[in-house]
Amino acid sequence: MSASQAEVVTYPEPIEKALAQITTLLKGSYGLSPRTVALLLLQDDPEMHDLVKEREGSTYQTIAAIIDRTRETLREPVDEAVPVARQQKIAAIAAAAVTETAPAGAALADRISRLMMNPWTGTPLLLLVLYFGLYKFVGGFGAGTVVDFLESTVFDAHVNPWVNRLVDTYVPWAAIRELLAHDYGIITLGLRYAVAIVLPLVGAFFFVFAIIEDSGYLPRLAMLIDRVFKMIGLSGRAVIPMTLGFGCDTMATLVSRILETRRERIIATLLLALAIPCSAQLGVILALLAGRPAAVLVWAGVIALVFLFVGWLAAQILPDERPTFYMEVPPLRLPRLTNVLIKTYTRMRMYFLEILPLFVLASVLIWLGEMTGLFAALVQAVAPVVRAIGLPDQAAVAFLFGFFRRDYGAAGLYDLYTAGQFDGVQLVVATVTLTLFVPCIAQFIVAIKERGARVAFGMFLFVLVFAFGTGYILNAVLRLLGVSL
Amino acid sequence: MRCDFCGTVFTEAEARPACTGCPLAGVCKKRKCPRCGYEVLPEPKWVKALKAWGGSIFAGYKANR
Repeated sequence: MSASQAEVVTYPEPIEKALAQITTLLKGSYGLSPRTVALLLLQDDPEMHDLVKEREGSTYQTIAAIIDRTRETLREPVDEAVPVARQQKIAAIAAAAVTETAPAGAALADRISRLMMNPWTGTPLLLLVLYFGLYKFVGGFGAGTVVDFLESTVFDAHVNPWVNRLVDTYVPWAAIRELLAHDYGIITLGLRYAVAIVLPLVGAFFFVFAIIEDSGYLPRLAMLIDRVFKMIGLSGRAVIPMTLGFGCDTMATLVSRILETRRERIIATLLLALAIPCSAQLGVILALLAGRPAAVLVWAGVIALVFLFVGWLAAQILPDERPTFYMEVPPLRLPRLTNVLIKTYTRMRMYFLEILPLFVLASVLIWLGEMTGLFAALVQAVAPVVRAIGLPDQAAVAFLFGFFRRDYGAAGLYDLYTAGQFDGVQLVVATVTLTLFVPCIAQFIVAIKERGARVAFGMFLFVLVFAFGTGYILNAVLRLLGVSL
Repeated sequence: MRCDFCGTVFTEAEARPACTGCPLAGVCKKRKCPRCGYEVLPEPKWVKALKAWGGSIFAGYKANR
């Protein structure tokens, strides 16, 4: 056996069988070995398909039939099976040829890395990350300590009364007074939502996210959930838009274009619009549910169930194109505090610059709505739907805010909660419905741009009906079971 | 820049085209990894300046020794 023969990669049996059949059929000259040509054909290389179609004539149909048969026989996509077989061969050659002295700590990092990707150990580790990172830090520290201080001590006790007094004293026009201060004023509502509620919560979330990012945990998470994602028509690659969705769903929708198939892109866009809360929304929801572990479990369970069910349903309805996912995992490392702080600062700064004008604009629109009576009419129109899911009429305001910006709506819920408007069940129903509720305007525009108006409007309607439908069922079930959360 | 997802090292110029068409591109200064599409944060200008300043002091200190 020659050296070159010994080093040939052996692929899974169906691929080897197809390679043998295709190589005997190839008669043209391609400047490559027949085996390489056959491999490129199996991996759907468009240029090679065009060349073979041109040079082999009617034989191409036979080759295409062999490729189709192979795809049906293989358990995993060819695009995945080929690099995996190559990597195994490379690892075997390297192990035989190279003696490596691993630096101190590398073996431990490697072991932890494997534990993170193994479903049996990786899932509890993921739950620990979510519990300490999100529930305890964002919900506990971010909401319980920082938001509480900024809301109660800074804004409610000092800033808002001072602004209201100042405006009442110096502004003679009632309409302008309402625009700047009081219930829906730019300063007392828009600025307060941005500075006292949303910013500290997204800051806490960005801090945890930066640690996760800097440690190299994300690619391991992608490997861990690849199998689950494949059941809902996605692959581990979809971890990228899904994770980014927890930061901002608008940008994540745009990032979904990196997904391999149209089917994957549609499913990811739908799931981002439906079941992935953005950082601010997630922060406020965790703040609302902080101190109520049972409520958090119900909320997380319902959202996870919806995510999997809708993804699975979409995967059944949309034509089947199996996604592939294969990546080299970069090394695991200890996060550096400077990196984490710089990333947190940069994200918070970008976020604040993005939301502040929008929050001011939202206040102005609400003020206009108040002045013209349109806002009251809209609240009246939405109130029966809100009542149907067991919430007080005032919750209609939060859902109207949510149409404009998800985080603005969540902040509206926070206001109602602090005013003592919700019991435990209503709180869970409200947070579940608002999480599933329609995407914000920016995300909707991107969805139209990326997926087309027909798909985007279809998704919008589906999400709207599904969100309130889920809220209705959840309220009915919890009331029927007599659960108090 | 180094991608936090796949570890690819790339320049800002290589990443920019991935942001074309995003309505938030004006506010958002993130760069997208040309390999996997993950969003990477650029280093703020003041951090770059601080590092350059720290670097020059360190270089001067080494030269004096």
